[in-house]
Amino acid sequence: MTPVTPRVSPREAWHPLSRTRWNAGRARHLLRRAGFSVSSAEVRTSLRLGMNETVGHMFANPPPLPVPPSITALEAEIDGHYQRIRAAESREERQRLNRELNERRNEAYRDMSLSWLRYASRSENAPHANWVAFLLNVFVVSFDQIRQPHLVFRHHELLHERARDDYAEVCKAVSRSAAMIRYLDLDRSSAERPNENFARELFELFLLGEGAYTEEDVREAARAFTGYRQISGEFRLRANLHDSGRKTIFGETGRFDGDGVIDLAIRQPAARTHIPAEACRHYLSDAPLPSEYLEELGRLWANSGYNLGFLVRRILTSRIFYEPEFRGGLIKSPFRYYLGLLGDLRLDVPPYPRPVITPFRQMGQALYSPPNVRGWLGGRLWINSNTLSARRSLVEAFFSEVNEERLNADDLAALREARKTGPVVLSVSRARLRQLANSPPEDVVDRFLRYFLPGAASPEFRDTLVEHLSGSGDQSINRIRTVAMALLQSPQYNLC
Amino acid sequence: MPMRNVPYTRREFFQTGARGLGLLAFSGYAPLFLTKTTLARAPEAEKDRSILVLVQLAGGNDGLNTLIPYTDSRYYALRPTLSVAEDECIRLDDDNAFHPSCDPLRRLLDEGKLAVLQNVGYPNPNRSHFRSMEIWETASGSDRYLHTGWLGRFLDNDCCGSDRPPAVHFGNEVPQAFLARKSHAIHGIGRSYRNRRRGGQTVDLLESLLEHPEHSGDTNGAFLRHTMMNALATDQRIRRVIDNYRPMAEYPGHQLGQSLRNIASLIAGGLETRVYFVTLRGFDTHSNQLNTHANLLGVLSRSLAAFQQDLESHGLDDQVLTMTFSEFGRRPDENGSRGTDHGTAAPLFVLGKHCRPGIFGQPPDLSLDPREPIPFSYDFRQVYATILDKWFGCPADEVLDGAFERLKFL
Repeated sequence: MTPVTPRVSPREAWHPLSRTRWNAGRARHLLRRAGFSVSSAEVRTSLRLGMNETVGHMFANPPPLPVPPSITALEAEIDGHYQRIRAAESREERQRLNRELNERRNEAYRDMSLSWLRYASRSENAPHANWVAFLLNVFVVSFDQIRQPHLVFRHHELLHERARDDYAEVCKAVSRSAAMIRYLDLDRSSAERPNENFARELFELFLLGEGAYTEEDVREAARAFTGYRQISGEFRLRANLHDSGRKTIFGETGRFDGDGVIDLAIRQPAARTHIPAEACRHYLSDAPLPSEYLEELGRLWANSGYNLGFLVRRILTSRIFYEPEFRGGLIKSPFRYYLGLLGDLRLDVPPYPRPVITPFRQMGQALYSPPNVRGWLGGRLWINSNTLSARRSLVEAFFSEVNEERLNADDLAALREARKTGPVVLSVSRARLRQLANSPPEDVVDRFLRYFLPGAASPEFRDTLVEHLSGSGDQSINRIRTVAMALLQSPQYNLC
Repeated sequence: MPMRNVPYTRREFFQTGARGLGLLAFSGYAPLFLTKTTLARAPEAEKDRSILVLVQLAGGNDGLNTLIPYTDSRYYALRPTLSVAEDECIRLDDDNAFHPSCDPLRRLLDEGKLAVLQNVGYPNPNRSHFRSMEIWETASGSDRYLHTGWLGRFLDNDCCGSDRPPAVHFGNEVPQAFLARKSHAIHGIGRSYRNRRRGGQTVDLLESLLEHPEHSGDTNGAFLRHTMMNALATDQRIRRVIDNYRPMAEYPGHQLGQSLRNIASLIAGGLETRVYFVTLRGFDTHSNQLNTHANLLGVLSRSLAAFQQDLESHGLDDQVLTMTFSEFGRRPDENGSRGTDHGTAAPLFVLGKHCRPGIFGQPPDLSLDPREPIPFSYDFRQVYATILDKWFGCPADEVLDGAFERLKFL
């Protein structure tokens, strides 16, 4: 992709947008990009609060991530289960117990997936959830690979809670995360046989980027992380497996431990721009920013003590974030697309897994299961005829009434349970569309365009929709439905 | 030679111009399948390439009432209400008979076009529908979890990135068997495809919206628009081939028959697709199985026979192999509700001009405790390896991540 050339200078780029330029259009851009969707009430509130306070609120007090009961239960019982498997008297018995455990893992995985989407779908949580989704794509662990949902959940929770902390501290916490210890083989690394997997990714993906370290640095750093273990999800440093000898890393020599390596690495020049560049890919543009811009942002970030909360707030309040060339051009990830649809259509996350888990896989973003340690590369790689077809099917599903008679018993029970706490809206009903049936077609279209699309539509685009809506032969409700669906399937709605 | 009714050049495409696609003339963007220089000259030499059609029998087909061990008295003892009487069976040899609904299959067997493999399964069988189907589709061991399908890995291995669909499935969900590491233009065809395009009005409107170049240059918007046009164009192309097809066999009106008819049309239309996937549902016969199962086997047999005949009449049978599979068979003993519960190994059909006909393997051993799994004679990955190797000529061991014995049915 061609790099973008911003119109503001590198220095001005990261200055806060001036108060006088804060308006509804920019508020919508902020809310849609930081979160997933936008409502008129939110636009009004953010106009009243101003940009700084709006962004401040987004990351001020995120409610804790709810813990699904099946995760707690798995944590409490998994060790006992392992013991029973070990003690099994026959092969058949062992197989049965293994199957049982697998089933519980899958159930826990499904629960935590739905629970996360439910959390993220609340507009007050959305910006924080989106930022944490970004961090999860930096500090990648994969349920598909380690198959320990409770460890993956706690890893997510860790990033959720520390998403505004100083970056070095977050890296240190991640090096103690049980899921990470499993995923990058720290639990196989000992003084005698250091495993380099974690140390390499720490430098390449978490802190510095490719080329900013030598193979020797990786080898030496790997020694510092030996002896890292997890027992029942808790971190333990096994002193007898740990190499406490002298190491030379980035030209400095000392008896570094893991934390010491992270403190060394964050002082490397490349650390200033590595994560800011990734964050800009998430919030600004998948085309690379010229390096002067990243260096300026990196300088500011280093001055903040490499604070993550500072970084995300700075990006979202900067002039460059609101420049026209950075608006409406980012391809939505499946996560953004799905949650955007839920928010824009005011729907609830289905309380049962099938209509959720499968579309995510089909759209190319199996929840909690990035394809490899690099995470999803995103951007145009999200899009092919298959994933587009999955996105279109998703829109169709949200506009088709759910036939409850065809749900299986488990799903129906889950739906009834969810309804005890309030109505559950799974699709756009005809009754809701009927409310628009008496409005002039132009009004309906303008309303849709304003709230669904990130930017202004061309007059021809608008006319096409108005023309369809004004047509005859079909019931007006069907025409409204068609217009809404086509709009949500259009290239424009796939952008934010 | 199959008839050629798919446009291969830009001019041809616009002359036959399907409704709604005139927009391409003004857009500056044509679908990639038109702009590729190779296609501007002549169709690629792909028509002789081998094609696989997979028929999934979803729910777990009762193998014991499909291929019946009619001379084994234990069969009748295990199935007091569900066994098929000896004089009603279609006898094939001294051990095996077909269910009475399978007469069309008997004819295919006689004509030397059908192979029946006994007791196909895998070690440590799983009796969950979802998991066992996942094992079959990803071709994993029952203790491993893979996230790509065996055909997806075949595509990863064999096809260069093409905008023309290398794999087509019927139904809205992409089969797990197609999940791949690389991106392939896998195409899904909705249930009621014929005479009604998917999304109907919405697609028409979406196409009109795509006419307006809201974005130009090397932008994400232009990229999205281009990719979307491409996908819709493939959709239209497929639909037109399907609509214009004249089958030369009488297909059952059932969904499966119609899907197979549509597959025949796409093959005859010269589509570059290597793998087709279609599903027949309803085999989870826990209660009152007798009629349900007889009907399903009837639909299956008549559909497969019509498909084969149609291919032959069009001179296409040379390049097509069809295979059925199911996540598991059912238990040898019937349950208390005149049905059968989830079992393990079961027979599998391979159909085509080039398969070696006959019944492979021995009938299941019914002397075992019926709660025990029917032991498998063939690992399904041996079947896959045989097809990948002998039919597709692709590195089977790589696709299956292991060396599996090649079987004799090909």
